Amino acid sequence: MKRRQFIKTLGASASLVLMQTPTLAAVNKLTSKPKKVVWVILRGAMDSLHTIIPITDKSYPSLRPKLASTIANDILPLSADFALHPALKHMHGLYENKQLLPIVAVGSGYPQRSHFDGQDYLESGLPSMDHDTGWLGRALNEINNDTKALAVANSVPISMRDSEKVSTWYPARLKDADENIYEALMDLYQGDELLFSRLQEGLNTQQMAGSTNTKRKGKFVDLAKSCGKLMANDNGIDCAMLEVGGWDTHNNQSFRLNRQLNELDQGIAAIQAELGEYWQDTVVMVATEFGRTAKENGTGGTDHGTGSAMFIAGGAVQGGKVLGKWPGLAPEQLFKGRDLMPTTSTFSWIGAVLQQHWQLEPKNIANVFPDNPAYTTQLIR
Amino acid sequence: MGTVASKVAATIATNRFGLGAKPGEIIQAEKDPKKWLSKQLTPVTFNQELPSSNELLQKLSEYQAIRKQNKNNKVSEEEDKKANKTRQRFIQSSYRKVATDSFVQSINSDNSVAWRLLDFFSNHFSVTANGAVMTAIAATLEREAIADNLFNRFEDMLLAVSKHPAMLIYLNNERSFGPNSKLATKSNKMKRGVGLNENLAREILELHTLGVNGGYKQEDVIELAKGITGWSVANVSRDDAVGFKYRDWGKEPGARVLLGKKYKQKGIKQGEAMLKDLANHPNTAKYVCSKLVKHFISDKPNPQLVETLVKRWQKTGGNIKEVMLALIYSEQAWSAEQVKFKTPREFLQSSFRALNVKTVNFQQLFFTLNTFGQQPFQAGSPAGYSDEQQDWNGGNALMSKIDWTTLLANKVKANAETVMNNTLALSSSSNTYKAVVRAESRKQALVMLLMSPEFLRR
Repeated sequence: MKRRQFIKTLGASASLVLMQTPTLAAVNKLTSKPKKVVWVILRGAMDSLHTIIPITDKSYPSLRPKLASTIANDILPLSADFALHPALKHMHGLYENKQLLPIVAVGSGYPQRSHFDGQDYLESGLPSMDHDTGWLGRALNEINNDTKALAVANSVPISMRDSEKVSTWYPARLKDADENIYEALMDLYQGDELLFSRLQEGLNTQQMAGSTNTKRKGKFVDLAKSCGKLMANDNGIDCAMLEVGGWDTHNNQSFRLNRQLNELDQGIAAIQAELGEYWQDTVVMVATEFGRTAKENGTGGTDHGTGSAMFIAGGAVQGGKVLGKWPGLAPEQLFKGRDLMPTTSTFSWIGAVLQQHWQLEPKNIANVFPDNPAYTTQLIR
Repeated sequence: MGTVASKVAATIATNRFGLGAKPGEIIQAEKDPKKWLSKQLTPVTFNQELPSSNELLQKLSEYQAIRKQNKNNKVSEEEDKKANKTRQRFIQSSYRKVATDSFVQSINSDNSVAWRLLDFFSNHFSVTANGAVMTAIAATLEREAIADNLFNRFEDMLLAVSKHPAMLIYLNNERSFGPNSKLATKSNKMKRGVGLNENLAREILELHTLGVNGGYKQEDVIELAKGITGWSVANVSRDDAVGFKYRDWGKEPGARVLLGKKYKQKGIKQGEAMLKDLANHPNTAKYVCSKLVKHFISDKPNPQLVETLVKRWQKTGGNIKEVMLALIYSEQAWSAEQVKFKTPREFLQSSFRALNVKTVNFQQLFFTLNTFGQQPFQAGSPAGYSDEQQDWNGGNALMSKIDWTTLLANKVKANAETVMNNTLALSSSSNTYKAVVRAESRKQALVMLLMSPEFLRR
């Protein structure tokens, strides 16, 4: 007996009511296609100035003589003032199809320069840090439907904590154990709330993943592909989170960012391809914990900074323009004389997406981001 | 036979402080659990036949020379590819052999407390095996800079780590030179790429010493970065040397001010003085002791217990052995309630110890730890792997453990009831006891034991 069948049998048996948390039946009630959200966090502080290039800013070439020259001839035009890194070919196509919104000079409000703190802050979305609740988890709690969410990870990242709707999934590498083992463990965990619920969650998610048990490679492109596959149906997974590391480019940035951005670009393309017609109702949000120094450092890289950039992509997006207010890169325009000045809040942009795409009210958004009301700019079609 | 209480204490000793009991350890521990533990604070040993970082760097340089030669001699593409393949294989196998050795030594060890401590500091000073050089040498850092100082002052460890090629290369300090150094003033800055890189300095402050809220500012990061300019790694062919190399011509001249204190020393002494002060800063004591209590006892460390450790730290100049003794002899560390969830590595170590498995090959080890998300030297960030339950207890992680344990139970021959007595002694709950003795097969009984709530925690 395969695990799927095993779970079906369990679900039918009266003694195992406990298996029924994420029911598949309830979701079918939805009359229209669900609105999907994918949240991608880039860990390591992506250098926005090397990604969305301010082509008309006079200070740029002098701040980054070496870095700028490595891509100058191949950048992909966006607006009159900005262009994309050459590796972001697919995303550039999205922009031209009005399905991408690059936003410049954003910040979460995190004032320091620690990656790990900065990431926790970006994921939590609260004025004071709480590792047990994340903005996406709270947003999921604000919507009144059967949406289920999936973190493509071994454990729930902070962004998605504090919601019962969340489970984790990561491609398996091991052969499944026998079903009687799971059954016996269900019994064994009767007195242990945590392990009990984790086992339930594990069994349920494996069932939902079904044939998506692709070989684990751990590459972003593969994870994005699987993620798209898992979301490309009406079975209730309408929200997912992915993460990509490797953005901490203290040296040799030109080579490393080219590789990273290429991977990101292919990952977004993979999500879109797998989602098929669902792409029309999807928003993908991409952000990073903070920015990097405006000036390049002594080893062909950049150090930790403040203002950064984010992307909002998807068939549901009203795209094709660069958003955000450009503060300029002249010495007096920089934050503390060294970083890009953040002029808008990452959280208020995310809030605007949640409000418009998931139809949340301002009072709901206040529960998600207590300090950052949503912007009113129209982002969704 | 000891009393019930001493048997319970022995289980705590082997499980909470050590890497889980090997057969026979509970009996040894129950006579005097605290003394049994304190005797384990002795140096760990490695397979001495494995290459050192210097040997590895030397060899990498030789491979580099071969490639250069090939290029000059215009050898065929096929031949060059072959040479490159040999080099790649050498890099991968060095990494795997060295990392696997630590693991195998730890599962066989009689002083597993010391190995826990090594793992702790190895993760505290995390480096990632990424790219050719780092892949080759990442695993040597714990052997060469941490193990030797495991029972010395924290200051000694910090200095050794900060001068080790793996740390210097990982956090980009090997090419960080002062903007006013001799090198910079002599040559065209831009062309030669001379300049400061803040990476190592920042992580020393944030992750290795004071902690993120330890009271330093951006200016302190820059000052420390300048203080350790010139702390570099020898270029084997050009310098005719190997390993750590201080390059005075890259050192930023002048006095520095770190955390309000002025450092007038010249040369390498300046950075050393800064690091020594950082190691002995009260916030470092607080930060590292709190991490230690978190590691050994609970994700939510008892402030009194942390304070006890901090006091001993300050009294002994940051002597790690003394701090560990303070932990072992604190009553608060011995509550019977298990509140700490094992990391994947610890779960594996304790499983192998429980089943008396003495050898593991690197394929098995790397496959398994990779599946569990904790491959050696792959944390991917200088913060290392998380030490908290919520980062390891996901549904998917639990499923992987069940699948892996089932595979393992197929391979080993062991009597689950005996293993239970050897590892959990009287601490198994009646639920676990029943699940093990009533399991439908020997295999299932072992899975029940290793996946039991008591075995997954410590």
